[in-house]
Amino acid sequence: MSQVTEVVKIRRKVFAELARMAFAGTLEKDIATILNTVVTEEGPRYRCCVHKERAVLHNRINLALSQPMTVSIAEAASAALQGKRVTMPVVNVLPEACDQCPIDKFLVTDACRNCIAHNCMAACPKKAIHVVLNRAYIDKNKCVECGLCKKSCEYGAIIEISRPCERACDLGAIKAGADRRAVIDYEKCVQCGACKTTCPFGAVGDKSFIVQLIQTLKAGKRVYAILAPAFIGQFGFKVKPGQVVEALKKMGFHDVYEASFGADLVTMTEAKELAETLAENPKSFLTTSCCPAFAGMVQKHMPEIANRVSTTVSPMVATGKIIRDKDPEAVTVFIGPCVAKKAEAEETKGIIDYVFTFEELAAMMVGAGINLAEVENTDYHSTASRDGNGFACAGGVTCSVIDTAAIISPEVKIIAQCGEGLAECQKILKQIQSGQISANFFEGMACVGGCVGGPSVMADRRVTGKLVAHFAAESFAEESVQNKPVSELLAKGGHWHRIPS
Amino acid sequence: MQKLVLEICVGTSCHLLGSQDLIQMVERFPAEVKNKIELQGATCLGACGKGPNVRINGTILNNMTPEQLQQIICDTI
Repeated sequence: MSQVTEVVKIRRKVFAELARMAFAGTLEKDIATILNTVVTEEGPRYRCCVHKERAVLHNRINLALSQPMTVSIAEAASAALQGKRVTMPVVNVLPEACDQCPIDKFLVTDACRNCIAHNCMAACPKKAIHVVLNRAYIDKNKCVECGLCKKSCEYGAIIEISRPCERACDLGAIKAGADRRAVIDYEKCVQCGACKTTCPFGAVGDKSFIVQLIQTLKAGKRVYAILAPAFIGQFGFKVKPGQVVEALKKMGFHDVYEASFGADLVTMTEAKELAETLAENPKSFLTTSCCPAFAGMVQKHMPEIANRVSTTVSPMVATGKIIRDKDPEAVTVFIGPCVAKKAEAEETKGIIDYVFTFEELAAMMVGAGINLAEVENTDYHSTASRDGNGFACAGGVTCSVIDTAAIISPEVKIIAQCGEGLAECQKILKQIQSGQISANFFEGMACVGGCVGGPSVMADRRVTGKLVAHFAAESFAEESVQNKPVSELLAKGGHWHRIPS
Repeated sequence: MQKLVLEICVGTSCHLLGSQDLIQMVERFPAEVKNKIELQGATCLGACGKGPNVRINGTILNNMTPEQLQQIICDTI
């Protein structure tokens, strides 16, 4: 379940304070007060002293303003107010916040009884274990971290420690650097955000654009929100979709779109692409492309099958294109549970201007003084089909493509497989490649549960998953192909595929 | 017996700071405890920023964590 820990609370308080000041126009003058309001002299204290707390907070503020860690918060605030965004990765380690967790993998604990059998010493192939001060001791210079000592101890007195960030990353992209601080290898990282949610010190974060967006709204530009289908229930289980739409308009958004509308278009395009792929070679297979972390994983870690990833754009990009075609001066903001979408938006330049997480949006509402629970509910109906809304949950894309393919290309026999989590996706893809599993369509989701289980959700996916299903069930149509406005858009021509870089 | 009136704020500020965790904690109580509680939703208790806020029998409490609230409920009942 999503737990709002103290680490999460501090991050959200920073967002809300920045938003409040940006809306009030006092950010440049008052930014330094955050160092005294979010962290107070009285505590609570999580680090050695108040100065360390503030140093960590400084990192947090700069990242929230999308500015380098090295500049002062005043400079960062002023740059953000001018709309500047520094070129930097989406996911970053906060150097002050990283607690430099131990790197010793095996540790003998107090449970060691210095027994007579000494199974650990017998098991160690490197003779790295000695008895020192009445207890087994592992000589780090000899230890090769094989783990046989841990297995051999009848008391379970030897434990295996792994750094939470390293364990969370399925791609081995985060490691301890020379000073034991975490370092991200961006050649391997796909910005999925797993390390961010896992680190108990809150030492990994993603850059935000709250201040930049508020400035854009204040400048009176036409800003369009694109809500990810997973938005249902994120702002409180009782908050209705109509209230969210109303609140966005109250905050200054010109119009609100659902990415699920784009998902209907994606379904149609992808179903066609799948039919064409299989007509060309019945033994081939196609994977989904809507999850940017999954698509990135294939590109970086399984390049040999990169051509099997569907070239269809993601629902976010499709919806962005639809808005831009109608209003070339539109400023587009995708709002979702995802960190990797921030990177995807940068890669597909000129379609999506900002990507916000649900958490960042809620903090922005708090900063604007908008309380969703008290916003008037308007009668709101989804612009997408049931299947389009289903994209929010794992298995949803598959379901949608199968339903639509059954209508538009009934001759195609789809054998689908789904993967949740990058490690599982990699495993299944390898099995499909080697023929161990027969499948011609693979849905890859970097997060367990799909988007409702994303790194920046604000509610338990077991509940929101059901709420999404209820909302989807009320849609005007079941299959994507029944969404008439989408069919009309497709009939106009143009293409909805990624342009190879 | 008088029921314990428990209001958990579900306003956006409190939601952001974790009021959902409080509600889920209360929902996990065994039936005999739940019967003694009258859980009400509140949309604002006037202390935004110090949340999550709850009101128990008329008294407002700030910065609640599920552990603290559980203790208070058990002590009161």
